[in-house]
Amino acid sequence: MRAAGRWISADLAARRGQVLVVIAVIAGVVASLLLSATVLAGATNPWQGLFAQTRGAQIWMRLAPGTNTHDLSRISGVTDVAGPYATAVATLSQGPVQSQVSLRAMTPAEPAVGKLLVRQGSWLSRSAPDGVVVEASFAQALHVNVGDGLALDGIDGNAARVRVIGIADTSDQGFYPDQTPGLIWALRGVVDRVEPVPGHIEELVGLRLADPAQTGLVVQQAVTQLGSSSVLSVTTWIQVEQSMARGDPLLGLLLALFGLIALGGAVLAIANAAAGRVLVQLQELATLKTLGFTPGQVMSMVVAEQAVIGVAGTAIGLAAARELTIPLLQGLPSGVLPAVMPLPAVWVALIGGGTELAVVIATAVPGWQAARVRPVATAVRPQPTSHLSWLTRTALLPRFPLAVVLGARAAFLRRLPAALTVGALAVTMTMVTIGLGFLSTVDDVQDNPASIGLADALTVSPGELSNAAARSIVYGDRQAAAVYPSVQESTLLPGDTTSITTLGMGTSSRPFPFDVAAGHLYTAPGEAVASQGLLSVLHLQVGEYVRMPIGGVPVIFHIVGRIIEPEYDGQVLAYGLDTLSQAGAAMPPVSYSLVLRPGVTADAGRAHLLRGAGEGLDVSIVSNPADQLGIVRAMLTGLIVILGLIGLTSLLTASAVGLRDHLRDVGVLRAMGLTPAQLMTTLVTSTTVLALTGVAAGTAAGAALAGRLINTGAQAYGIGAGIGRPPSVAGITVAVAIAVAAASGAAILPARRAVRARLATVLGT
Amino acid sequence: MKPPADELMRTAGLIKVFDGDGGPVHALRGVDLSLAAGEFVAVMGPSGSGKSTLLHTIGGLEPATRGEIWLDGRRVDGLSQAQWAMLRRRSIGFVFQTFNLVSTMTVADNVELAALLGGATRHEARERREELLGELNLSAKAGAAPTRLSGGEQQRVAVARALASKPRLLLADEPTGNLDSSNSADVLRLLGRFHRRGQAILLVTHDARAASLADRVISLFDGMVADDAEVRPPLGLPPAAAGVLRLSG
Repeated sequence: MRAAGRWISADLAARRGQVLVVIAVIAGVVASLLLSATVLAGATNPWQGLFAQTRGAQIWMRLAPGTNTHDLSRISGVTDVAGPYATAVATLSQGPVQSQVSLRAMTPAEPAVGKLLVRQGSWLSRSAPDGVVVEASFAQALHVNVGDGLALDGIDGNAARVRVIGIADTSDQGFYPDQTPGLIWALRGVVDRVEPVPGHIEELVGLRLADPAQTGLVVQQAVTQLGSSSVLSVTTWIQVEQSMARGDPLLGLLLALFGLIALGGAVLAIANAAAGRVLVQLQELATLKTLGFTPGQVMSMVVAEQAVIGVAGTAIGLAAARELTIPLLQGLPSGVLPAVMPLPAVWVALIGGGTELAVVIATAVPGWQAARVRPVATAVRPQPTSHLSWLTRTALLPRFPLAVVLGARAAFLRRLPAALTVGALAVTMTMVTIGLGFLSTVDDVQDNPASIGLADALTVSPGELSNAAARSIVYGDRQAAAVYPSVQESTLLPGDTTSITTLGMGTSSRPFPFDVAAGHLYTAPGEAVASQGLLSVLHLQVGEYVRMPIGGVPVIFHIVGRIIEPEYDGQVLAYGLDTLSQAGAAMPPVSYSLVLRPGVTADAGRAHLLRGAGEGLDVSIVSNPADQLGIVRAMLTGLIVILGLIGLTSLLTASAVGLRDHLRDVGVLRAMGLTPAQLMTTLVTSTTVLALTGVAAGTAAGAALAGRLINTGAQAYGIGAGIGRPPSVAGITVAVAIAVAAASGAAILPARRAVRARLATVLGT
Repeated sequence: MKPPADELMRTAGLIKVFDGDGGPVHALRGVDLSLAAGEFVAVMGPSGSGKSTLLHTIGGLEPATRGEIWLDGRRVDGLSQAQWAMLRRRSIGFVFQTFNLVSTMTVADNVELAALLGGATRHEARERREELLGELNLSAKAGAAPTRLSGGEQQRVAVARALASKPRLLLADEPTGNLDSSNSADVLRLLGRFHRRGQAILLVTHDARAASLADRVISLFDGMVADDAEVRPPLGLPPAAAGVLRLSG
């Protein structure tokens, strides 16, 4: 055991550089897997993180005014009680739009249970008696920002003007509009102004439990204690969690997929490195056996050495993920992930342990080879197939530099290691190219929203103005390049309970410029286009007919094309407005989709319109899902760096194996009169040629796969194939240049050592 | 046949056949050989006579095709690779022509590795290493990498490593084959010194001077023992052998 430990530590020290690179690779893989899993968990189940961060209550009860809540904390299983908070029902008016609001009285002191996570602005304060804090999803839906003034009306018509001083997340209730009314926190004074009748003010209490599984039991006990007539309603964490759960884990899935691919690459690289190490060390492993190391011991030493490296990498990866989680998530736009909580220990253990296991498995085969080394084996020299291959002869004829020709020939002398190196580099480069393809797709979606069907930048609805006034302002707006009247209506699918979104956009003679991936746009009344998600759900093909109730009238649509549409979960049907009039359906309220002139930003366009209309119009900016992909860009870049390190591991291995094979030749060539510079060229060329072969193969494979992969993913997601873009030429050029430079770099140091070695040592005389 | 009381190692009808490209190669064709505790036996013979194969087979590096190997009264030819490894740790030391030091370890670590493997504690291993390197005049090189050493120094380290676990039997395969005459003399003197302290040695060599140190010289020819003769210290030595003996004394 001690002897094995001694050998492992000596061997690790002898190849510090390679060991450090492998540790960095493993750390990177672990960190990216952890971060992806965190994002994935946060995106699919934001409640969990919010609940932990807010120290939320599992049970919330609306109680009749004046209910005595003193004894609630005595119920067994209840650890804390939040509230009681006075709450009043109010209406928030924004022009003609009215929203129901639950106004909750709080104090400036932070509550111990059911805290609020203030995202923007600040919490309530005595110095701002009219200040209110709006729940984040409600604020987003209503386009409310810090500093905005709001008009609140009580049931009895008592109005109050308040100012938004903060926007906060909570785990008390689900996201708006899934859960209504919207939530606003205010000081007691505001609540009393909106609802001066004490008998109309309800109480709200939250119960935090020691064991969430006891929720049902505690609710029963609480209702019994308070009396069922006092309890107006009860919500539990299960309802809140369900209402927050979103089927939108694309971001996390994408990152997890890449993390797993990186893990695969790392396993390959580590297997390659360990196999290369065994090849390089055959002689020494044989010596260890003559000293009395058993085959089992030799195998365990090779595996244990990698396991040590794996543990170091995993530990660093865990630490890095811990440090990176917060800054990375701050880079996310608010609303993408309301809250993220550290992964459960089981997940962390699974990811860390899984990576470690993968490392050990990757080393098993090289370890087994090491165990089989015969004690008297000497390094197996490559057996050249012929003295000079036809290729070499051909190359020598036009007087290529001798050193280059010799190096290129040496590269493929040993077929298996050469194939391993080329294969490992090709796989790595394939993934880098695919990563670059993802990056350029994200760029394209961000710079050119029309490519995913988001030609319009603004949606305008008449708001306080009459339809005719709104129409004249919108059509007269000079910033707009094109205006399309549009209606939106949800409808139930025939024989189904899910509702889908139908859009009347433009007319058959002047359709909205959707991005059509297959077929063509609607050009006659009755024609429609659909996105992939809808076609998949209805098992329809382009060219088929579907009947849907619109405006109370069944309308038969002929689907003439498939469009790219990232919104509405990809389940959308679009048609010309004239279809409705032809079918005799009632026309829903019309809005206008505006395509802005080049160079006009959405914000500027909105401001211009609002100025023109005296704030009467309701103008909203069409959100581009790619705005939320900035984090993907950062993660992709990180993963490409990790892939680069994986490639470097393979190169270092190739260089070490190549050197072992050619060390004796170097001596002979030196003795024959090749200069040190020529020898260096020979050695560096042999590694670089392998690298070039692998990189070329990988780039070709990656370029062929990238678009197809992205389209497959987009199709599965409902957006539909057609958004994939090939990786940029500049990106690929840089990647190839770095790969080749790294190949030469990885070969130079050992080559220099070999060239400087004593001739007698090299030749063994 | 009952072995003599002080017998350390014995082979009986030892046969080794390799699978060569052009058919089986008979490296050993029934070698009977015995070695007493503390005895120094040299094996000589032309290239290809099976000298190294004999040594490797006795040390368990190559499995015997047929025949018996006894070590310390125990039959060992049927041992598995792992059992042979355990046996080598404590009972057999190897010295090779090409030194075979572990290049990633320092001189001190090379020696201590063998001692640790032989069951020594860390403390004992360090003591043993200091003692051996001191005796071999290599204390100053303890922290050096093997590649920084001359051939003679490397071979002295290899001898120290082979003896670090105090093996009963030292197997030396052409230990002077890669050394000049001065370094050869050093290494042979060392072997002689340890032999006089009771170390049993089986030495394979081409070098008559080296062989002249031994108690017995066995000549191997075509994988068979052609001659087995005791070396008597005669009067009127030839000049070369006398020189070696004087050095070793």
